[in-house]
Amino acid sequence: MVDFKNITYNYSKNSGIYNIDLSIQDNEFCFLVGPTGSGKSTLLKLLYFDLFADKGVVNLMGYSSSKIKQKNIHKARKKIGVIFQDYKLLKQRTVYENIALPLHINGVGRKKITNLVSEALELTELSRYARKFPNELSGGEQQRVCIARAIVKNPNLILADEPTGNLDPTAAHRILKILEQINKEGTCVIMATHNYKLIAEKPYRVIELDQGRVVSE
Amino acid sequence: MIDKIAFLFAEGLKNFFRNKLTNFLCILTILINFTILGYFFVVGFNTDGLVNFFRSKYTFEVFLDDKVNSEQSDKITAELESNSLISSIVLIDKDRSAEIFLEEFGEDIVVMLGYNPLPVSLKVMLEKDKFNLNTVNNLIAEIGNYDFVDSVEYRGDYIQEIEKKINLFIFFFLIFIIAMIFISIQMISNTIKLSMTNRSDFIEILQYNGASNMFIKIPFFIESALQSIIGSFIAFLLVNYSFILINSYFNLNMQIDKFLWVWMIGLSLVVSIYASSRAMKKIL
Repeated sequence: MVDFKNITYNYSKNSGIYNIDLSIQDNEFCFLVGPTGSGKSTLLKLLYFDLFADKGVVNLMGYSSSKIKQKNIHKARKKIGVIFQDYKLLKQRTVYENIALPLHINGVGRKKITNLVSEALELTELSRYARKFPNELSGGEQQRVCIARAIVKNPNLILADEPTGNLDPTAAHRILKILEQINKEGTCVIMATHNYKLIAEKPYRVIELDQGRVVSE
Repeated sequence: MIDKIAFLFAEGLKNFFRNKLTNFLCILTILINFTILGYFFVVGFNTDGLVNFFRSKYTFEVFLDDKVNSEQSDKITAELESNSLISSIVLIDKDRSAEIFLEEFGEDIVVMLGYNPLPVSLKVMLEKDKFNLNTVNNLIAEIGNYDFVDSVEYRGDYIQEIEKKINLFIFFFLIFIIAMIFISIQMISNTIKLSMTNRSDFIEILQYNGASNMFIKIPFFIESALQSIIGSFIAFLLVNYSFILINSYFNLNMQIDKFLWVWMIGLSLVVSIYASSRAMKKIL
């Protein structure tokens, strides 16, 4: 699914990630942990081709960072669902419209969109909020909308960048539960977090980063 | 595919109604530029008629001696008609000259003086397409040396001067049009850039969800096409009705091209699509 081969990315001197070698399998649930600035988000950005490594190669579902052309990045992204800490929802659109967006991008027909969005709303327990706008929802609910938007297109990989960062413990647990459920259905999930408590007793792989380097696995 | 196209059109329309201020500014920009362009085009369209009017005055008159008889005047006419620079000749005999005098001055010269002092003359019409002042001047000098020719009257210098001025006007007019189109492109491009910067979050979300650049661009193109159609159509109405008013108020006969609306809307579409694609190239 994902291969990092000797990846180095520099933002500036002493800031970035260095010589990362990682391999993540299909269906795996994997946590990237570490303090702020350790390189978790950078690794995720390299995965959805928002950044390109200065050294080394990222291989993702048949796409290689060294070969992919700018005009083909969107093809890779269609297979990835991304969840952000700040949700990145469209405020002028309803929950339903936000979730339907990736399906419109993929050219899915209207009837199928209605069915798929309903399923995603059910899974994230948002059915009754379909006609509401993001500003009318709590942080936890908005994050669930973001998850619904990420899973609605049935991606092979979910990248969650601090999805619980702005949430209270109850909401955070709920989000994690939804992600676990998605993973059980066969989607690979990579979640970046600095909330050690949240993942403490989880039976998944944990990759710990510090100052841009993998310190434990 | 049809659902995707419908979605993109709907997005373009939604954007158009959501971003009222930006769209209003863009429509206003197009309206102002295309109104000015429209006025200049109508004036330019009419200068062509003006040139043709002056060209229709490409004639000169050959006055013959009093002693000339009809056989001699026919001979001169035939000789002139064989010249390729001349398109036609009208012979004005003494009686016809007196009639013209009566039409123009309201007096019968024969009754006034007791005889007809007006000479026989030839009105010579020149070929407009072959017109060249130097060649015509040479021809006139040559005709002046003919037997029985008293004098030749020609005002070609003035006509040529006026035509030069009209050509200069057309040259500056073209420069002005190009400048206006350039300004339009620049202003529309800046407005679109502003609009895209305002919606950078939306663009970013589309990109993270796998939208291609074309998918992101199409709603902006639709929005920009709507702006240009509305702006240029209002500009057309303004230009059209103000010339109708000018014509009736000043009793003029300025012609308005019947396809004015087609090229105004067409040109504005081309300009705005080019301007928006230029703006998007820099952002996407």
